[in-house]
Order: sequence, then C-alpha cells, then structure tokens
Amino acid sequence: MLKRIITIFVLVLFVMSIFSCGQVKKESGIKIAMVTDVGGINDQSFNQSAWEGLTRAEKEFAIAVSYLESTQDADYSPNMETLLDAGNNLIWGIGFKMGDTIKEKALENPDQNYAIIDYAYGDETPANVVGVVFKEQEPSFLVGYIAGKMTKTNKVGFVGGMKFPLIEKFEYGFKAGVKLANPDAEIYAQYADSFTDAAKGKAIANQMYGKGADIVYHASGGVGDGVIEAAKEQDKFAIGVDRDQNSLAPDHVITSAMKRVDNAIFNVAALLVKDEFPGGTTVVYGLKEGGVGIAPTSYKLVPAEILEEVEDLTAKIISGEIIVPSTPDTFAEWMK
Amino acid sequence: MIETILSNLALILGTTLMYSTPLIYTSLGGVLSENSGVINIGLEGMMVIGAFIGAAIGYYVGNPWIAFIGAGVAGGLFGLLHAFASVTFGANQVVSGIAINFLGIGIALFLSRIFFEGATMTKSIQLDNKMPRPLNGVFPDGSILNTIFDNQYATVYLAFIMVLLIWFFLYKTKYGLRLRSVGEHPTAADTLGINVMGIRYFAVIMSGVFAGFGGAAMSLAIVSNFRPTLISGHGFIALAAMIFGKWKPQGAMLACLLFGGAQGLAVYLGQFDINIPTQLISMLPYVITIVVLIGFVGKSSAPSADGIPYEKESKY
Amino acid sequence: MKLKMKELRRALYIFATEKTVGFTLISIFLGLVVGALFLAVAGFNPFRAYWIMLQGIFAKPSYISYTIIRATPLILTGLSIAFAFKTGLFNIGAEGQFIIGSVAATAAGYFLHLPLLIHIPVVIISAVLAAGIWGGLAGFFKAKFGVHEVISTIMLNWVALYFQNFLIYTKGFQKPGGETSYSIQPTANMMILKTWKQSEAGREWLLQHPFWKDLLRTPMNWGFVIAILMAVLVWFILNKTALGFRLRAVGFNKFAAEYGGINVNKNMIISMFIAGALAGLAGALQVVGVSHKVTLIAAMEGYGFDGIAVALIANSNAMGCILAGLLFGALKYGGAKIQPFMQAPSEVVSIVIGSIVFFISIPKLIKLILTRKSKKGGTK
Repeated sequence: MLKRIITIFVLVLFVMSIFSCGQVKKESGIKIAMVTDVGGINDQSFNQSAWEGLTRAEKEFAIAVSYLESTQDADYSPNMETLLDAGNNLIWGIGFKMGDTIKEKALENPDQNYAIIDYAYGDETPANVVGVVFKEQEPSFLVGYIAGKMTKTNKVGFVGGMKFPLIEKFEYGFKAGVKLANPDAEIYAQYADSFTDAAKGKAIANQMYGKGADIVYHASGGVGDGVIEAAKEQDKFAIGVDRDQNSLAPDHVITSAMKRVDNAIFNVAALLVKDEFPGGTTVVYGLKEGGVGIAPTSYKLVPAEILEEVEDLTAKIISGEIIVPSTPDTFAEWMK
Repeated sequence: MIETILSNLALILGTTLMYSTPLIYTSLGGVLSENSGVINIGLEGMMVIGAFIGAAIGYYVGNPWIAFIGAGVAGGLFGLLHAFASVTFGANQVVSGIAINFLGIGIALFLSRIFFEGATMTKSIQLDNKMPRPLNGVFPDGSILNTIFDNQYATVYLAFIMVLLIWFFLYKTKYGLRLRSVGEHPTAADTLGINVMGIRYFAVIMSGVFAGFGGAAMSLAIVSNFRPTLISGHGFIALAAMIFGKWKPQGAMLACLLFGGAQGLAVYLGQFDINIPTQLISMLPYVITIVVLIGFVGKSSAPSADGIPYEKESKY
Repeated sequence: MKLKMKELRRALYIFATEKTVGFTLISIFLGLVVGALFLAVAGFNPFRAYWIMLQGIFAKPSYISYTIIRATPLILTGLSIAFAFKTGLFNIGAEGQFIIGSVAATAAGYFLHLPLLIHIPVVIISAVLAAGIWGGLAGFFKAKFGVHEVISTIMLNWVALYFQNFLIYTKGFQKPGGETSYSIQPTANMMILKTWKQSEAGREWLLQHPFWKDLLRTPMNWGFVIAILMAVLVWFILNKTALGFRLRAVGFNKFAAEYGGINVNKNMIISMFIAGALAGLAGALQVVGVSHKVTLIAAMEGYGFDGIAVALIANSNAMGCILAGLLFGALKYGGAKIQPFMQAPSEVVSIVIGSIVFFISIPKLIKLILTRKSKKGGTK
C-alpha cells in the first residue's frame, strides 16, 4: 500500500512538473476577461449575454477572452486579483454588486483598465474605469406598450425579483408603456423577494392570470422560469427580460425587453483594440445607442401594425420627444 | 363577496399543492430511512441530483415517466452510497449525509456542463413532454375546482398516493413492522431473525429514490428545466417537515402542506399594496412553522435507534 | 528491504487507523483522487488542474492571504457547529447566525460613533450577543417546547435572510439608491492599513514596493488571529472548565447528565448561545475586516453549510477546525481558478469536498483495506 502511495505521489509530482512548464501561455494580442456576479455564466441573463459579447469580440478582433465565476459576494475581490495576475488588458465586472470592488481595485492598480456593467460613478469615475449603464426603462416601455395594445382583458402584470432601484426601472418603464397604449388597463405588480424561487414566480403569475391578466412581464432572473411556465400552462402570454427568452416558450413569450450587454461589451472591446478605451467615463446605453431594444423574435406573435407603432415610439424616444420614467416619482409625474 | 373569498382560497390551495409536492416526496424518503434507524441529512443532495437527471432525461428522451424514474434511480444510487457508508461501514450518518449533499450538487453541475454545452442550466422541456396534467380542462373555466386543479401535474396526485402507500406499508404490512422494529430495537429484531442490514439498505435506497422523485417533481412539473438554484434548501425543509411530522408519513405530509400553505399565503398577501414590507411577508412560512411547532405540536422523538449504526458482531 | 516495507506498512496502518489526523489526511488524499477521476473522465488533465489550484493558492503572498481570508469565517462557523456537536446538538443554523452577526456588526459599526480602540470591540460584542441570542433562541425552543433544533435552526436561517434584506431597506440604514447598507465608520474598520493604502502617499509607496503592494491589495485583517484565539478558547472551555464538562456530559448522555444533577435545559440554551455567538463572530469579522457593509442577499451564501463540512473534517475538534477551515478555504479559492485557466468545471471542488467528507465518515473501510493489504503482504 505504502509503495503504491509513494509511487502515485512521485508520479503526480513528475506530471505536474511537466505541465507546469507549459502552463504559462502568453497570448500575443489583447486579453479581456470578466468576473460574473453570483448568477454565474449561464444565467440566461446578463452574465451570459456579457460572455456572448466577449466571445463575439474574440472572433472579430482575434483577442483572447476568459471569465471567472463568483459564488459569493466575497469572491469579487479575489477574482479581480486572479484576472489581474493573468495579465489582462481589460477586466470587466458584470453587475452593480461589483461597484465598490472595481473602484477600489482601479485605484490600487492605475495601469490596469477596468469596466463595469450596471454601475455609474459619475464625476468620480477613475481614469482607468468605464461604467456602463442601460436605460432599462426604455425597452420596458416598449414591451409595456405592446402589452397594453395586445391585452384583451385590459389587465397585465409585472413580476419583479427584488425591489430596488435597478428593478424598479423595469417596473415603471413598463407601467408607463402600458398606460400610453391603454389608459384603462389595470396593472398588477408584485415582487418575489428572490431571484431563484421559480415556484414562487409561478404562484405569483398564476395569481395574476387568475385575476384576469393575460400578459405578464417579468424582471426576476430564475423566478421568471416559473412565470413563463405558468404562461405556457395557462396558454397566456409572458414577456421575457434581458435576453430574447422566446426559446423558453416559443408560443407564449411574445417579446422580451433586451438589454444588450453583449453589444456594450463588444463595443468597448472594439474601442480598446483601436486604443481608444473611454476610461474615466460612464457610457449610457439606451435605444439611441443600440444598447437596449425588443427581441428580434417579436414579429412571431406581435401583430405587424403594433410593431410599426413601436418603431414610431422608438424614434420618439431616440429623438428625446418621449422621456421614459424610471422611478416612482418620475412615473407619477409622467401620469399627469 | 363569498365568491371572491372562495376563489382566493382556491388560488392559495393551488399554490399550496404545487409548493408541497416536492417536499412531500422528499420527506417520505426521510420517513423511510429514519424509521429504519438511519438519519438522512443528505436529502438535499439527493433532490438536486434527481432534479438534474429528471430535467436532462426529460429533455433528451422526451418521456416524463422515464425521466421521473431516472431521477428516482439517480437518487437511489446516492441512497446506496449513503447506505454503503452508514449501514455496512457504520459511518456517522450525519457525516456521510453531509457528504452526499456536497456530492449531489457537485456531480449534478459537473454532468450538466458536460451534457449541456458547458451550461449549468438545462434546456427547457416542451409542455407536451412534461408530466401530464390529469384534470386539465376537466372542470368548467372559472370554477373553484378548476382554479385549484387545472394545472396540477400528475406528480401532485401521485405524492398523496405515495403517502397512503407508505403509511400502509409501514403500519399494515409485516415488512413495515420489520422496518420499524429495525429502527427501534435492531438487536431484538436481529434475534428474531430479521435481516437488519438488508432492511436498512432497502430503506435508505428508497429514501434516495423518493428524494430523487422530489427533485424531479420540481424540474419536470413546477418548471421545465434545472438550474443550480432550483433546489435551494428544499431538502432541508423536507427534513424539517419529517421531524415536524413526528417521523410519520401522514405527519410529514401535513407539515409539508402547512409549509406550502404558508407560502401560498405569502404570495396572496404579496399582491396587496399594504404597508407591510414584502420581506416580512416572505418570512411568514418560516415563522409560522416555528410558531405551530411551539404552540401545537409539542415534543417529538425519533425512532430510538435512529442514528446509531448497527453491528452484528465486531467484524473488522 | 522487504522487512522495512513491512514495518513501514505497519506504521502506516497505525498512522491511518489509530490516529485521527493520519486518517483524515488519507481521506483528503482519496478525496483528491476522486476529484481527479472525475476530471479525467471529463477529458481534463487532473494533474494540471491540481497544479493550477496549488499555484493559485501559494504562488503569491496575496494568494495565501486570500486563502486565509476565505478560511477565516469558515473556521468560526466550523467551530460553532463543532461546539454544538460536542454538546449533542446539531446547529444547522450557523448560516442564519452568521447573517445576524454581520447585520448587527454593520448596525453597530455605522450608527455608533466611538473612538478607534473602543469601537471595534463594541461592534464585535454586539454582533456576538445578537447572534448568540439568535442561536440561543433555538436552544430555548428545544428546552422549553421540545422543538427539534434542526427544524428551528433551518427555519431561523430563512428568517434571518429576509430580516437582513428587510433591514437594508430601512431608511437611515440603506445607502440611498443602493442595494446595500451604509458602510461602517472608519473607526470600526479592522482591515490593515485600509486608509493608508488608498491614500495618495500609500499608493505611491506601494507602487515602489511590489511585494507589499501584492500583499496589501488583499483585505488583510486581524480576523484570522481572532479565529485562532477562538479555537483555543473553545478547546479550553470544552476541556478545562466545569461548564465544558457539563455541556459535554449533556451531549454524551442527556439522561445520565440529568441524573447527575446537571440542568440539561439550561445547558442546552447556553450551548446554542455559544454556538450562535461563534457563527455571529464570523459574520462580524467579515464586516469589520472585509466587506464593511451588508448587501441584499438573494440566496444563502453558504458560510454556515460549509461550516458543517469543516466541523466534520475536523472531527469536531476545535484545533482541527483551523486546519479544516484552511483546507476548505484553499480548495474553494484555488479551485475557482481552474475555470479560467483550463475551462474545467470548478464544481469539481464540491465533489472533492464531498468525497473527503464521505471517506471521513467511513474509517472502517479504510482500515479494512489496509488490513487486507498488510495481510496479503505478510503472506507473500
């Protein structure tokens, strides 16, 4: 037994030493990496979208890309360090939760470029950081308009994950859109206090459908699995979020409010390759910048004339004629 | 007025059934194992592997029953592992149970990455390939019964049948009596010629099978895919329900229903624009459970040999 | 030579079967082997994966520092659970007690304005008390109403989670427009040189001194030292005091203890109080040393559940918790790195940990294998 254990150990050390020589692989070109938040790389949401943007950039610009997943909030900082040591030209933090960490790291390492999704530092943006934020209210407004037009019962619903300002942007943009299309429509809104409890999402959606709603929009991560499932079962409509979620239920997800994290990441990569990294600024992605929008599959279930009206609305938002509300206060004002 | 109250009640009931089902299967698994004298704290891990295997087979094969049984087999294999450690080798049952929890989530995600292109989330199963909904469209639209039963899956009804079967098995058959006697007085049972090890193996494997069913009841009925967070603490809630139900199948079922009902209540209350923060409403099911335990249930005690490894003679 | 082998084998047998440490080490080795098998089957080179892990843990001072920071809360939640185990209770509630500890620490750290040397102790003591009461509650329910601590602590975990999220939304505590609380006052900070390393002068100096820059870029703090002191304290309480004797007596045999004149109910509450306090200390240290605030949490973070594995690997030994916590921290921190470097699933870490715990649960199997081997060897 002992002999075997010793043999194995020696073998292990031997093989390890072989591989350790080949381990440090230097890419000649540019390297970009990202740290996911606790949702993980395949969250069917912005982490996944971000990774798609990076892989697109990889092909387009022949750069090297990689990612690191976080399982706890305490992982962000060490993950940033790991990627720093891997010699990346740009490190992305995906999600507002990394706001403080990125800033701290950026100040400690002034020569390293950082960028973050869903966080704006305003005037205090360090020169080596780019903040990327989205106008989530704008696509929410558009899908709200579609919902308002398509509802036959004059009742629609909104299921939020947890109630905080970022998710409220979805809620109030949606509400404004519904009210514009259909001032009489009733809107149910409820928060699940979770981004994971699919059963709760289903129960809330069932309740909304039970009260007569026929379209429910969700901004709730994994909870949304349950919302879409309820729509399938009851043969009602649901609206997806962040990515085109039509594939989850092709006959029931009429559209999705897309947040093109992939585009944002791709664009910043393009700038980096051209040596025009916009450090020290906050980039805002709205309809105007092509950073948000409705799902390309919307034509399948949404009538063409409604989509035409949505086009008009999009033009109005881009021109600044319509400013979509994003908070309880701006929504109250808007309703006047 | 009465009609609104009734339809609201129906909604809560519907949610209750949906929420409780996975917990019922899993807690039945706990009942079987612990009545034979083996603590099973690994229910969570067995549920996770069941949920994943169910979703994976459901997606690739397209038959919900094969998927459901596959999930049971996967759970059963983990049960076998637990039995191997705790029955044959007299392991500390809490330790090997905790090991199962880590292995369950680790192996499920590992396999998912291999079979679903690196993703920890499986692809969605079509509605037709999910569990059937036996009472779908049976009752008139808008009726109370329709609200409750229209979208309940076969897994829901099966869960209650299982409760009945397990109850019958444990209390009305000689095998059930043997199983319980092994959990109460293994030495006495052994003297009477009962195969203590064999019965414990059977019970622990079956507990894995049921926990696997519980996981699949989640991924094949409530939703149609697996994600790492799909089972988050359900196994532990089921464990609590089993203890709450005093190690009896019918008691465990009632505890699961109570918990599901409290969730239904939380969802119901959450729709109103009242001045109670939603976090406090979400807390309700857990608080209610504790309050009920304090106020109404009283002391409960496990089978007397629960957790104690049995050794015939010193073999090693 | 032959004889020597035999002696060695004999020594190994004794090492593995009669000394828990040796047995634990063998379990860890076997756990790593199982992980390697999974990696190999999936087509990844396990040796390379472990090499990356090793490098990821030891190659730089900052890596070691991160491993320690990662391990600190686990050592304490492990101690919490180990302590409860020793007294016959199963504390699944370390998760919730951790949460209560971190919330209480943040509140005391933000709302109170105290001088430097007083503030940190006050913050820690309030967190320890709050979490102790939270844990003691489960003991009280058990003592007074016969509620099984496994149920009550599982339920209390969720209550604690929602409670934290509720508090974060309280006006005056919530950072406006954010999903976090305010950060604690600088006087409550325990991170080493926090202000200095973010100041102009500090950054300037660190740029000149790469070693220190590397080390200080981690949120290095005194938490680990406190965790070690706590392990010593727990060992002392359990083994050298009358209280410890009573608690262990209750854990060993409740009825005998009662017969012997020990107030079982009272000791159960005390035990859960101490267990809660330890887990709460973990939360408090995380706040004063690393995060400085609490954030909205959507799901359990796992400090308490991982603590169970730590306690089990340590065989509920207080000193063992330090080593097991470090092992766990290293596996989690180093294991994450195989993802970016070789695209191998980092979940293999869970499999390794699960296997280690599994082998630890079956000392008899390993004994059996070793006896068979040595018998065979002997007859050859």
